[in-house]
Amino acid sequence: MDLLEPTRQAFALLFSGDRELWGIIWLSLWVSVAALALLAPLCVPLGFVVARIHFPGRRALVVAMQGFLSFPTVVVGLVLYLVLSRRGPLGAFELLFTPAAILIGYMVIALPILMVFTVAAVQGADSRIYETARCLGARPLRAMATTLWEVRFAVTAGFVNAFGRVVSEVGCALLVGGNIAGLTRNIPTAIALETSKGEFAYGIALGFVLMVIAVGVNVALAWLQGEGGLE
Amino acid sequence: MIKRIVFTLLTLLCAATAQAQTVRMATTTSTANTGLLDYLLPKFRSRTGITVQYVAVGTGAALKIGEQGDADVVLVHDRESEDQFVAAGFGVKRHDVMYNDFVIVGAPADPAQIRGLKDAAAALKRIRAAGSAFVSRGDRSGTHLRELQLWRAAGVEPKWDGYYLSIGQGMGTALIMAYEKRGYTLTDRGTYLAYLKKTDLQIMVEGDSRLNNPYSVIAVNPSRHPRINHAGATRFIDWLTSDEGQRAIADYKVGGAQLFFPSAK
Amino acid sequence: MSALFKAEGIVKRFGERVLFDAASLELETGNGYVLTGPNGSGKTTLLRVLAGLDFAQEGKLAYRARETAAAGPYPEPWRREIVYVHQQPYLFRTSLADNVEYGLARRGMARERRAALAGEALAWAGLTARHGVPPHRLSGGEKHRAALARAKVLNPVLLLLDEPTANLDGEARAQVLELVRALITESHTVLIATHDPEIIRLAILTRLRVSAQRIEVAE
Repeated sequence: MDLLEPTRQAFALLFSGDRELWGIIWLSLWVSVAALALLAPLCVPLGFVVARIHFPGRRALVVAMQGFLSFPTVVVGLVLYLVLSRRGPLGAFELLFTPAAILIGYMVIALPILMVFTVAAVQGADSRIYETARCLGARPLRAMATTLWEVRFAVTAGFVNAFGRVVSEVGCALLVGGNIAGLTRNIPTAIALETSKGEFAYGIALGFVLMVIAVGVNVALAWLQGEGGLE
Repeated sequence: MIKRIVFTLLTLLCAATAQAQTVRMATTTSTANTGLLDYLLPKFRSRTGITVQYVAVGTGAALKIGEQGDADVVLVHDRESEDQFVAAGFGVKRHDVMYNDFVIVGAPADPAQIRGLKDAAAALKRIRAAGSAFVSRGDRSGTHLRELQLWRAAGVEPKWDGYYLSIGQGMGTALIMAYEKRGYTLTDRGTYLAYLKKTDLQIMVEGDSRLNNPYSVIAVNPSRHPRINHAGATRFIDWLTSDEGQRAIADYKVGGAQLFFPSAK
Repeated sequence: MSALFKAEGIVKRFGERVLFDAASLELETGNGYVLTGPNGSGKTTLLRVLAGLDFAQEGKLAYRARETAAAGPYPEPWRREIVYVHQQPYLFRTSLADNVEYGLARRGMARERRAALAGEALAWAGLTARHGVPPHRLSGGEKHRAALARAKVLNPVLLLLDEPTANLDGEARAQVLELVRALITESHTVLIATHDPEIIRLAILTRLRVSAQRIEVAE
């Protein structure tokens, strides 16, 4: 099978600014970023608290979060589907087969990742950071912010990891999104669809973009860390 | 040493016979989702010993698979595409097998008020005017192609602007989505009946002659690809169009209703 | 002169091990104190309790007019006036200026004034030339001096220094010693935990000794 021609077509598609194609890419990007942006104000402070404060059930929580790290995304999709469908408890909100459903799914998938990375980052933080901040007159909330800033690379790594996971997952997005053209068709679901239809140019174009995104984000993190990350 | 040679030969023989005992078919989701194939194929196997392995996609995709030589026989429902397929030399000959009909189904509340209309194109026009949700297969399947013909007849361009949901997936999925979105969709009667328990959709429009849905079976042209099981494909077609096969098709019922009607001549 | 800071009846246990058993001390305003004792005798722990970084099981702390339990929460207003400097100070991974300005920013000081005061403190510590250097690239002695500048710029009423010359020798140590001397003569109240003989020998310091889980004024 000749793959050169579809590949050439793929790049022609990309650079021609094909609206449908770029609409798919945009959906992938904004839903992934929005999911993380919504989770951040919850997960980062919560991760700090879990890392530093001993409360009953803390260990169980940490173990559970670790367990959910590699939770199959298609099962997340399954449960979410049942919950959001008209027969389900949240059916009245008519969220199934909308971008919002994918957003919710992404948040569920990303949550344990962000928590685990933030907890690890804070636990790995030098205990002198928080103390120094407090000694210099910072209130507990401010000292927390200072600590998180000091371990910002480790925390950001969590976001990069979570982003990579949700932007390329296909099971959940397909189930709760429905792969509706122009509405809930994102990069992975579109690749699955177009390839099965034999539209290789489309699949290759999207696959290339996904690769660039996934690899690019990791490279950007590594570059940002620069000398700051390596001692 | 002798043992080894014998063993190898036996394995090869088994593999060779296994080849002859398997036919690959590309067909549509409507024949699969209705359960027809799971009912017919075991009968064929007990008659001939041949196993038919099938992949169910849309008519367009199924014909593409046949074109690529990844199937020995195709069972699809879009006359125009089928004729093109044979004319281009990808298929040997088109045979009538059975037919069913399409219906327009929708949410019981019928927001576009199309219940009972006899003109399918007019019904689609009303749906568009009312801005109700309409789920399209969007996958160049037989159903999708028929839907596009009806839009053309109605003189309406189905664009996505909140109401037209093009999903690129099978009939079963389309029905569920129409149910969830409280909208309409075009479906073959067979799949609709098979999914009766899963949705609350009701038949709104039926009987329009443009909703007739004939199925054809075509053997993939063996001269184009090296490993086509043409013998097996031919036996399958012969059986399907025989009295026995046609009777089996007519006997298949879901919820007491016959889904497909034999049409082989 | 009334005592600026008092610790009474401090009991500190780590599991089975008793570090302090009803230890007490009094610090007078404007005086300098050095806390000595063998390694592991609890000098750092005591300083941390006084600074509110660790709890004691029993005892009272009194600062100015106010009293609090050593086992209970440390009053927030005290942190504005009592500054503790770690044995190995931690400098934030931002900039040298940001580090020195940190405490001022927490007190709501305006940017320009902060920058001016920080510049002065860095000059006081002899670090003006190192202005653009990332803090983690400073030498050991420079880090100590930066931490002292960071504390001094806040004009603390009570300064708690933990081993300010730890792991330093030669030129670096001499430079830090100079700053410590300056801090003492600039009439901050200072309590220094150390076993550096040069600091211990400073005549202007009152010597406190940790002995048998108590604190006593030496000779």
